[in-house]
Amino acid sequence: MAILQVQDLVKHFPVHGGFLGRVISKVHAVNGVSFFIEAGEILGVVGESGCGKSTLGKSVIRLLKPTSGSILYQGQELSTLDHQAMMPYRKKMQIVFQDPYSSLNPRMTVHAAIAEGVRFHGVVPDTEIDDYVQRLIVKVGLQADAGNKFPHEFSGGQRQRIGIARALALKPDFIVADEPVSALDVSIQAQILNLLMELKEEFNLTILFISHDLKVIEHFCDRVLVMYLGYVVEELPCHRLHEAALHPYTRALLGANPVNDPDDRRPLAVLEGSVPSPFDLPPGCPFASRCSERRDECTIRMPPLLSRGKQHRIACYAIDPITR
Amino acid sequence: MIAKFFQSRGARRFRRNRIAMASLALILIYVAIALAIIVGDLLTLEDTMDRVGPANLPGSWGSQTTEKRFEDIDYYLRQVERALYRRQAGQIIPRRNPEEALKELRLGSLQAADHNPVATRKRVDEAVALFEELEEYEDLDAEPEVLPKLEELERLVAAFYRPAGAMGGFSRWLELSGGTDRQGRSIAIRAIYSIKVAIQVGLVTAFISILVGSLLGAAAGFYGGWIDHLVIWLYSTFSSIPNLVLLTLLAYMFTGSIFDGTLIPIYVAFCMTFWIGPCRVIRGETLKLRELEYVQAATAIGFGKFYILLRHILPNTAHLMFINFSLLFIGAIKSEVILSFLGLGVKKGPSWGIMISQSGQEVINGFFWQIGTATALMFGLVLAFNILTDALQDAFDPKHV
Repeated sequence: MAILQVQDLVKHFPVHGGFLGRVISKVHAVNGVSFFIEAGEILGVVGESGCGKSTLGKSVIRLLKPTSGSILYQGQELSTLDHQAMMPYRKKMQIVFQDPYSSLNPRMTVHAAIAEGVRFHGVVPDTEIDDYVQRLIVKVGLQADAGNKFPHEFSGGQRQRIGIARALALKPDFIVADEPVSALDVSIQAQILNLLMELKEEFNLTILFISHDLKVIEHFCDRVLVMYLGYVVEELPCHRLHEAALHPYTRALLGANPVNDPDDRRPLAVLEGSVPSPFDLPPGCPFASRCSERRDECTIRMPPLLSRGKQHRIACYAIDPITR
Repeated sequence: MIAKFFQSRGARRFRRNRIAMASLALILIYVAIALAIIVGDLLTLEDTMDRVGPANLPGSWGSQTTEKRFEDIDYYLRQVERALYRRQAGQIIPRRNPEEALKELRLGSLQAADHNPVATRKRVDEAVALFEELEEYEDLDAEPEVLPKLEELERLVAAFYRPAGAMGGFSRWLELSGGTDRQGRSIAIRAIYSIKVAIQVGLVTAFISILVGSLLGAAAGFYGGWIDHLVIWLYSTFSSIPNLVLLTLLAYMFTGSIFDGTLIPIYVAFCMTFWIGPCRVIRGETLKLRELEYVQAATAIGFGKFYILLRHILPNTAHLMFINFSLLFIGAIKSEVILSFLGLGVKKGPSWGIMISQSGQEVINGFFWQIGTATALMFGLVLAFNILTDALQDAFDPKHV
């Protein structure tokens, strides 16, 4: 059964300005996204900068209040809950952030940062907090004496481990990993990904994994949502990523990845043009302006996200309707 | 936590800065003096009002003109005369108990010598005769026979007094080292007592302004919405009023109230405008901090906004509070001096501002000791604090490498 079911999620950011601070325009960050995650699954979200994938992740755990749409978590509607009613779900849903340098309070020791939420939610009895935190610190691969140190004494990878420990300390079921390895060196990325994988097995986690790196997604996730300008344009299983990808944008993303073959010197497929402004969305498919297979109808209406076989959905008029 | 602070990178960087450490030491000396005056009762307000010598006595590094020496002798001689005789209805009557009167005779720490009243009276008459003889001369500098006579007179007058002992001698030296003002009050004592006033005004206003400013600024930046609008409106309004006009107005408002004569009008006037600086800076910093991921992480855990403000935002603006504190401290001291100079600040007791404003006439006549001493002490404190502020900024502000 799906642990999380998101339906038509929309998030717009109003832009205030002018006399008396009226709303003069809106940033259309997420424009009607629907998806689900099975318990124990890792769902990847990929897309270029500014496509709304972080906004999606933050809206799902209610760090941002969605403009409209529904978020069903274990059957409970989250999008309308207030601060108090949200409390039990705060404990169940946690987030790991991208930038390990701003995700930790520089004036709190590692122990204090992890213990803060444990004490607040009463995850373990007060007398056992110290032991519990200490076990977590060791579990995420930090030195046993790390608890008394401050964040600036750690490297980026170590800080990311602290961030993971802080999220796991509440014993959550569901974690949003918002580009957790994007700011790290490649060798450290592998360590953190392996750690996440181990912890996922041990704590039986469900993960929404946000990244702009298809290689990481392919390695780590079960399914992937490809986002463009606040829309999901394609959803497909990761083990068939290269063969199954049909949407021109997904193919462009795959084509932009360097190949592991020094003799393959073909130039990388590069998209022409730039992303349309999220202030002023074009009618129709947002990708139409850069698409090589653009049809007339693409600029009139947004193509619907239609199923195209098991775990595969796609929103594109260019894909032959017969094979759908 | 405190030990951690002293080992932090910022604190280490600060300790390596020699000039900053020197200015910190100087500030601590000032603060220690102020504390000794407030708590230890080193000087009382009356001490600063006591007449310790003749009017406009130059400081220790001053030179005496013949006229000035003559005037000083006149002053000392009159003191002795007053102890021995009493004027009543134009008649000069000998005091009934001259021994007692002579014992009470005290100029600063210079005490009357052991006296035989009869011999003393004889010597006073002798001195007065010599004095009147000298008074005949129209121009003291021009006559060659004046100097030996003046020296003899000085010896005579000096014999009436006995220098005080070791401690008394030191305080006597201290009292007269800055000279005296027109009322014969010790400039050094008044200048030192002014340290207390300056430190008091500086500390109290800087502390209250930082407290109010950072709380309002952090709340405005963090909560946004109508709180933000209100705070911005408040500080825009207050900062559009010319500072000195507001201070003058408030000073007049308090005249005649029960707070008149205390430092409270000054505190109120300064705090009303000084909170704006830290408020602006900390609001800006909070706007930046609240978007940081550790604040979002705290929200994701489920903490309330007030807790996040207190635990995650305010501690991270501490470096700005430090820097602003020392800036406001200097500002308050300087403004206090300006206000007192205008006659609107400190009403009872000395202040550097009062001393400077009093010395206006004296400077024309060549007595720069009063303005010199007050300015030198103020200069030391302000300079030390400026250097300290700079060093704090260098050491603790992450953007200021």
